Amino acid sequence: MEFDFSAVITYFPTLLKGVGVAALVALAVALMSVLGGLVVAVISIYTNKVVSAPLRFFIWLFMTTPLLLQLYFLYFGLGEWILIPAVVVGILGLGFHYMAYNADIFITTIKSVSGGQYEASRSLGFGHWRTILYIIVPQAFIRSIPQLGNNMILMVKDTSVLSAIGVAELVYASQYAISVSFRPFEFFIVIAAMYYVINIVMELGQAWLERQTSYRH
Amino acid sequence: MSTEQQTATPMVEVRNVHKRFGNLEVLKGINLTVDRGKIISIIGPSGSGKSTLLRSVNNLEVIDDGVILLDGVQVNRPDMKGMAFERHINHIRQNMGMVFQHFNLFPHMSTIDNVTLAPRKLKGMDKKAARELGMEQLERVGLAEKADVFPNWLSGGQKQRVAIARALAMKPKVMLFDEATSALDPELVEEVNQVMRSLADEHMTMLIVTHEMSFARDVSDWALFMDGGVVVEESAPDKLFSNPDQERTRNFLQKHLENNK
Amino acid sequence: MDFDLMVEVTPLLIRAAWVTIDISSRAIFFGFFVACGLVFLQTLRFAPIRWFARGYVSIVRGTPYFVQLLLVFYGGPSIGLRLDPVTCGVVVGAFNIGAYMSEAIRGSIESVDNGQTEAARSLGFGRAQTMFYIVLPQAASLMIRSVGVLAIVLIKNSSLVSIISVVELTYQAQRLIGSTYKPLEIFTLSALMYIVIIYAVMGIIELAYRRATRYTTQ
Repeated sequence: MEFDFSAVITYFPTLLKGVGVAALVALAVALMSVLGGLVVAVISIYTNKVVSAPLRFFIWLFMTTPLLLQLYFLYFGLGEWILIPAVVVGILGLGFHYMAYNADIFITTIKSVSGGQYEASRSLGFGHWRTILYIIVPQAFIRSIPQLGNNMILMVKDTSVLSAIGVAELVYASQYAISVSFRPFEFFIVIAAMYYVINIVMELGQAWLERQTSYRH
Repeated sequence: MSTEQQTATPMVEVRNVHKRFGNLEVLKGINLTVDRGKIISIIGPSGSGKSTLLRSVNNLEVIDDGVILLDGVQVNRPDMKGMAFERHINHIRQNMGMVFQHFNLFPHMSTIDNVTLAPRKLKGMDKKAARELGMEQLERVGLAEKADVFPNWLSGGQKQRVAIARALAMKPKVMLFDEATSALDPELVEEVNQVMRSLADEHMTMLIVTHEMSFARDVSDWALFMDGGVVVEESAPDKLFSNPDQERTRNFLQKHLENNK
Repeated sequence: MDFDLMVEVTPLLIRAAWVTIDISSRAIFFGFFVACGLVFLQTLRFAPIRWFARGYVSIVRGTPYFVQLLLVFYGGPSIGLRLDPVTCGVVVGAFNIGAYMSEAIRGSIESVDNGQTEAARSLGFGRAQTMFYIVLPQAASLMIRSVGVLAIVLIKNSSLVSIISVVELTYQAQRLIGSTYKPLEIFTLSALMYIVIIYAVMGIIELAYRRATRYTTQ
């Protein structure tokens, strides 16, 4: 049992390219899931049942089934209609998945803010939607940051799953290199280490963000 | 003559005790003697160190300097380490009953199990004997009918009475009360006071930290006023509560009276 | 919706769902022991052992479960660790959930009120006795829900063992979608099975929780 990391070094640029793809995917998913989650939450709280019931059903469905199953469904389901690149399917799949989780958080925080703040704002003369947009949503957003951070940290780790549908992120990028070098152990150790470093950086960032926003509530 | 000799060793003796939390010295050389069958009350503002002193007697706080003796046996043993000290202190504590402000009943056990756990596990008493003992203690605090109820069903006053029964079940040489009625609604204070009075009638040795001035005055043989980590004044309760020598004591009692108006 | 097809594939999916249940339940079972071990190691006086346990927990939590699975399955043989796919799923699942569970267990032990320890110690109980008679029974009821949440996460993550060709629910679903070109039907059925499994687990957790805390509620 001896280790040989020379293949890993040879293919390191490929791995870095994989990191780049994963980072871009993660960024797109973060934007989509946070903004989308907020919109879904606001709509599902402040509109009638006809609109909110299906939304809540999808939130629930995405939260009670595995990500990979959702990805396969989207991959093959969309593939029936149009030809779209795997990376788009990946972003949409991961995006919807975490949109549901984020919406679930926003629903709780919006409701917790809504209580007294809604009446206070209305009494100042703000209208219904203005109250929601200017008063409630910003406060709820700040309160959601710690949990959103947790979700985004989980999400970055889940980008690895996208290799299953052929998104050229880190794990997928290493597959060719592994198949020619026969060094799976070395490659996966390095991949795990890369994820670990990213994870630590994100946790530090999250802690910093929480400190920046904590005085507001 | 023999009783005279027994009373010669005090039940609890505190000699020149110092305790620091970081840079803050909360006990600055405390001396205190509790004779057999006597009741000593300690009063004082919050932060005066009175609770820390009581907890130190039970070694829940580890003192930095000085000596604490229970019935002539040293409680704090800076010379002992690790398991040896563990065995020593566990044995000492079995002879001291401690009653906490927040009761600290074990919520996952019925009342009777709360009372009998220590006698069964620490003294190896069999289940039947322990239950008899436990029922006896619960009767003593007037709660025999609540034996098989869980603590969450009880009122605060009842919880504290069970906590007293739990401590009594170990047949302690001394009972330590750490603001036993401070967390209670006013209407529940009296039932706990009554139990404590009945213990006084049985000549239980007691060391009481309390905010209940009139109770302390009624029941104690000796009273101490602590402030800023020192004993400011001590005397017979009648004198301490109605005609103290020290200005600080007078101020404290005055303030206390005003607050209770 | 093609209902004939759905009826036809249901037995296949149910058989696959059993594999999901089997792998998950074994991983949760062994994971509990891994977690207890990790909690125990972190109470030891010898610092390097504590660091090892903390480092292990940190690394497992900081890397994707998926990569852990691939590392052990494909990389394992080069360090002499040859596991068949199902065993690999169970082992990686157990060591993964164990790390998370150890945090949940530690958290629930720490959230037992310190007054409970003081009361027990003041009666003369030693450290271990206090832990055993007073703290752990109360922590156990506190940890039921957090461990339950982790169990549900693990069931969903068990879908990832399909990548190392364990024929569990997601693997079967993917294969059937590929061969029938009926993604909606297959997804509906397999999602339903995950939902049934997860709700069953949630029910068990809730029952256990109520049973364990019946002394606090009327």
